[in-house]
Amino acid sequence: MEFECCWFNPDRNPLECQNIVEGEEYLYSSPRKRLVEKCLDCPAFQRDLAIIPEENPLRYIISILREEYREQRGHLSSISAFLTSKSREIKFLHELSQVLQTSMELDEVLSVAMTAITSGKGFGMNRAFLLMMDRERQFLRGYIGVGPRNYEEAWQIWDEVDRSNFSLAELSRQFYKTKISSERAKFADILEQLTVARDEVNHIFNRALNERRPILVDNAFNNPEVDPRLTAILGVGHFLIMPLISRNRSIGVLLTDNFVSNKPITPRDMQTLQTFAFPVAFAIERASLYERLQEEVEKQTLANRKLQEQQELIVRMEKMAVVGRITASIAHSIRNPLAAIGGFVRALLKNSTNLEQKRDYLERIAVEAKNLENVLDEVLNYSDSLHPVMDYWDLNQLVLSVTSELRQSLAEMNIAIVIDLDADLPAAWLDYKQISYCLKTVINHVANSQPDSDSIGVETSREDELLKVCVSDNGPSLSDELKEALTNPFTAIEHLGLGIGLPLCKVILERHGSSFVIENRPEGGNRYCIILQQHKGENDL
Amino acid sequence: MTRILIVDDEASIRLLYSQELADEGYEVDTAATIAEALALLKENSYAVALLDIKLKNESGLDLLQQLVKERHDMAVILSTAFSCYRDDFSAWLADSYVVKSSDMQELKDEIKRLVERKSR
Repeated sequence: MEFECCWFNPDRNPLECQNIVEGEEYLYSSPRKRLVEKCLDCPAFQRDLAIIPEENPLRYIISILREEYREQRGHLSSISAFLTSKSREIKFLHELSQVLQTSMELDEVLSVAMTAITSGKGFGMNRAFLLMMDRERQFLRGYIGVGPRNYEEAWQIWDEVDRSNFSLAELSRQFYKTKISSERAKFADILEQLTVARDEVNHIFNRALNERRPILVDNAFNNPEVDPRLTAILGVGHFLIMPLISRNRSIGVLLTDNFVSNKPITPRDMQTLQTFAFPVAFAIERASLYERLQEEVEKQTLANRKLQEQQELIVRMEKMAVVGRITASIAHSIRNPLAAIGGFVRALLKNSTNLEQKRDYLERIAVEAKNLENVLDEVLNYSDSLHPVMDYWDLNQLVLSVTSELRQSLAEMNIAIVIDLDADLPAAWLDYKQISYCLKTVINHVANSQPDSDSIGVETSREDELLKVCVSDNGPSLSDELKEALTNPFTAIEHLGLGIGLPLCKVILERHGSSFVIENRPEGGNRYCIILQQHKGENDL
Repeated sequence: MTRILIVDDEASIRLLYSQELADEGYEVDTAATIAEALALLKENSYAVALLDIKLKNESGLDLLQQLVKERHDMAVILSTAFSCYRDDFSAWLADSYVVKSSDMQELKDEIKRLVERKSR
């Protein structure tokens, strides 16, 4: 028995085998591999088997093993093809989910999704429409359509895509930048007609969404479950409806078909698209939420800006109000003396006979002019108060100087000054000019507010690190409201002839790091105390 | 003779007004406080009262309200250094409102107008 082939014929040179091609040279050195990969399919091997006598059981066994092996090999090959296709699908979904994850804008997400469905590098469907749930959740509204509208356009688009050789990410980016608006406009009529109310529960879109499952429609023209209007709009009988649901929330519906190629959509296509629909629905929901968040942030930013503007306005108005109060106070202080001066001058010009009356008028003019000078002093003191010049001064000496200056004018009002000084008082950190002004203002206030009183007390004292100079009267005790009102600029207008007096003192003393308090004396009457720090504070210059 | 009451805490203003109005032929009384004014009103009858709004520790508007209630026959002119009081509702109760000025012509005209109105 002589076999034809090299598998069992040592005289035959394997190099003569016609089945071994370039790149399979390794088979020359391995009879075993050569047998499995080449001989089992070779007609020569078939012929060699035929010359084995029928009574030889090896002929039967080898035939069975050969058939079984070939069958298993075919099976393995189809599994391998399936795995390759799945692997490609996973790679595509991975790429897609990565692009989706980085896309925050709704139109950007939709560009990725619609490109993936319709491009050859994706699912390769001819056309796709997306319907989105509106904010009130009353309608599924046609939102975007992608694909050609007719055969000519289809070939043109596919030709362009073939030549461009873009990746899916690049295609979707290009779509987002250049085509999304035109595609939306191109399908505006269809999108409008596809819109359906959510309460039309039998509509196939609502059914897919409510039943949470894709519906693959075949032969729609004769399908009683499909609204003929929908088939008429699409112009195709075979299409897939995919619900988009994210975390139990209905987002919308995806409709896709092959209206140009008429290629059937298989259950496997449907399954793959379903896998794809999950991340798409999630990304759309996230983008929608992001869009609404952006709107809310914008509203919030706008509201904040308005609030800030209003706050600034209020601050400005408060400043204006303070300025207004001070201005009104000064205006009042100036108008009275001016009216008197002007009035007396007019009277003098009118009546020139009575010399005694003239003298009286002239004296009054002089007094009112002095009042005006005092108003100016107050205003100037206020501006000085913004920049105190501090040093260590003898407070007792300051008191003596101020009281000596006022003694004459108080005497004319029949008021005596009783001074009680603490002889051991140390030097105090103060602005001499300002504290002098404050003390003078307080004494004048007390004298004017208690015209029936015959004396005013001025005393100095020390409490630990604090030095006090207090002016006392014997008048009725002031209520808490009045004490508060006396240092409030607005009330001051009502109470002080010369305007900003005590409130100004309070401002000066507070800027000075000192304080001003009005208290009731236990023995009757009131005490107005200027309380000074003995030493300069850490923040003082 | 037509009597006029002047209520103002400024002595110079009281003197000026009383002299000027006396020269116009009015009989003039003056008061520095509300208490003084009320005392005079109790004793005398006036055709016109001239009220300063800002009295030292008092408000002429308080007196105005009292006068409007009790003295229907007397006209009241508010005279003040503050033009802003024109917007105060209580100031609207007065028959007239005059801002203090060295030129008293406006005040004199108002007094004359109110006296004539009363005599009609």
